Amino acid sequence: MIKLYDYVLSASCYKIRLMAALLGVKMDHEAVDFHPGRAHKSVAFAQLNPAGTLPVMVDGAMILTESTAMLVYLAKLAGPDWLGPVDAKAAAQVQHWLAFSGRLAASLGMARLHDMLLYQGDIVVWREQGHAALRELEAALTERRFAGGEWLVGDTPSIADIACFPNVALSQDGGVSLDAYPSVRLWTRRIRALDRFIEMPGIHRLHELSPAPKVA
Amino acid sequence: MIAQQVLNEWYPVAMAAQIRAGQRRVTQLLGQPITVDLQKGAIVVTGQGGALHVTEAFGHVWACPGTPAHDLFPIPEALEPGRRLVDVGVVRVKCSPLRAVENFLDIAHFPFVHTDVLGAEPHTEVNRYEVQIREDSDEVWATKVTFYQPQAAKSAEGGIVTQYMYRVPAPTAAVLYKTCPNRTDAWDVIGIFVQPLTEELCDVWPWMALYDDVTPQAELIAFQQMIFLQDRSILENQIPRLLPLDPGMEIPTQADLTSIAYRRWLKKRGLTYGAQMVAA
Amino acid sequence: MTPRWIATGLSQDLPKAVVMAGHWQGHDLAVWRSATGRLQAWNDRCPHRGMRLSHGFVRGETLACIYHGWVYGADGGCKHIPAHPALTPPATITVASFACVEQDGVIWVAPADMAGAPPVLSDLQPLRSISLTCDVAAVLAAEPALQGQDILRATVQIGEQGQQVCLVAQEGPAGLTLHALCGVGADKVAVSRWVEDLRRRAEMKVAA
Repeated sequence: MIKLYDYVLSASCYKIRLMAALLGVKMDHEAVDFHPGRAHKSVAFAQLNPAGTLPVMVDGAMILTESTAMLVYLAKLAGPDWLGPVDAKAAAQVQHWLAFSGRLAASLGMARLHDMLLYQGDIVVWREQGHAALRELEAALTERRFAGGEWLVGDTPSIADIACFPNVALSQDGGVSLDAYPSVRLWTRRIRALDRFIEMPGIHRLHELSPAPKVA
Repeated sequence: MIAQQVLNEWYPVAMAAQIRAGQRRVTQLLGQPITVDLQKGAIVVTGQGGALHVTEAFGHVWACPGTPAHDLFPIPEALEPGRRLVDVGVVRVKCSPLRAVENFLDIAHFPFVHTDVLGAEPHTEVNRYEVQIREDSDEVWATKVTFYQPQAAKSAEGGIVTQYMYRVPAPTAAVLYKTCPNRTDAWDVIGIFVQPLTEELCDVWPWMALYDDVTPQAELIAFQQMIFLQDRSILENQIPRLLPLDPGMEIPTQADLTSIAYRRWLKKRGLTYGAQMVAA
Repeated sequence: MTPRWIATGLSQDLPKAVVMAGHWQGHDLAVWRSATGRLQAWNDRCPHRGMRLSHGFVRGETLACIYHGWVYGADGGCKHIPAHPALTPPATITVASFACVEQDGVIWVAPADMAGAPPVLSDLQPLRSISLTCDVAAVLAAEPALQGQDILRATVQIGEQGQQVCLVAQEGPAGLTLHALCGVGADKVAVSRWVEDLRRRAEMKVAA
């Protein structure tokens, strides 16, 4: 079975947990004491991932340390439709958003770690870069809406959407509101409403999707 | 001007293990800069006016910027053999330290905020429980609290009706005792220790004393962090950010008896740092 | 300040059974659409514990608070308190309502007792809402063709063609939002990119 070295508050780890849940893939999870223990920076953990980052995925002899690679792996194994359309332009666009998700982690993700877990750094710059990335995402999703599209690439959700979703949906944790990004907001709602979607702290259940309980 | 009774209380300012490991924590307490570090083997908290009163308990460093009105409250269970003491680590929240404590005392939000973990519709009813301000210890207590929980603890399997007791022994600290899934004769003990950085910003230090020999440490920490971080987006979106002590500002029900007692207790003792006295 | 209608969003960005944050001159609002499409704007604060209702959830014709699930009906009155399922909530527990209408694809809000209707924006179609870090004056300075104060209009050259553009300004806590509309049948992508270019020019003027 695939094993995921995991941390509950990590947006990148959640990316993989979410993808696996949507695909119905079961994994072994090993919790890593990222905070306050900083176990991901320990000598022991360096044997697994010298970069000291999470998540880490192990399947047999293969070790993956980049979350976008893990998305590709899970989708290839269990749901090739999630890789996006196969034509040249769409394939390139999927790659664009996988790379773009790194910018989200380096801006919104860092702002969140700063505000929540006291990471040191320039919060003003992280938030500015986060807004800059959200403006790009908003522009792209708005143009998709003009054409009737609901997802970043193609007619169905793909690894591109899942790669970008966590740090966007959690942006408020870092003091960046999505109020100014209506197309982004509606896109996050669509992802949250997907069958088999799972939450993480900071992304609450869409209670409107379940009926009101009968009152006695 | 901060009231003297506020200055004379104890506040958590660091995780003791981190300071003992040589980390230096530059932070704030009640709006004033402080530094927590190790000097000649002793943990020292220094403010602008010099050294603060310091004590170490339940895995954390506690400081009193005034003259301590009393010793730090005890948690006798922390000394029981066989318990695992777990430092969960700091989480910063943009809210009044008092709002963070009050949320910890609340059970009615479980089905909506901790969905499928600490609560789930349609099991939303809060049964009547007992609340008192204990004169001897000067603490707020809620007892005979029960609630249906789908997954009450990391070691719990399936739903159970969990029993709780809540205790407020200090203005910015709360302790809960809840049904231990592994033992019928003991309670799990979970605390939150809240460091008031300012009236509208706090560092929260959850802490646990559990009977659980099985679950890996990282999983225990992850479970408690999951729970607390589900609350964080609530706490950062309450208006006003300060805790209103004016009874007309918010509308409590019978389920909020603990919060009502906590607010009264704060008001009576003048512990109003982080509180709003009159509606803005 | 004279009460007036303020645009707080576009109809297309608020589907059925969704709530979003809105603003009217310094007041935070929860703007929501019920399952059958009824639109409302309320004070963005649950009277119970002060939680923002814009974080809540819509079920049928009600809006519920995310914190404790208190349910509010169409009149703003509390209909159900989940912690006390058998209790009929007192009629005194209510959320204050604002006037809220949609017209020409724009959602307008005003105080509950506001008389009259919002400005008419005929022969236009809603395009998108866009936020800026500058003020209206900087927008006007960046594009001299724009006329107006709260509703900026211009016919501008986009590509080969002259296009009608209408920008409805809203000042909020996070800065300026422009709710953009364009001529019916216009190339939406082209106009949208022009609005982004306008934003860059306006913000650059402020930075310079």
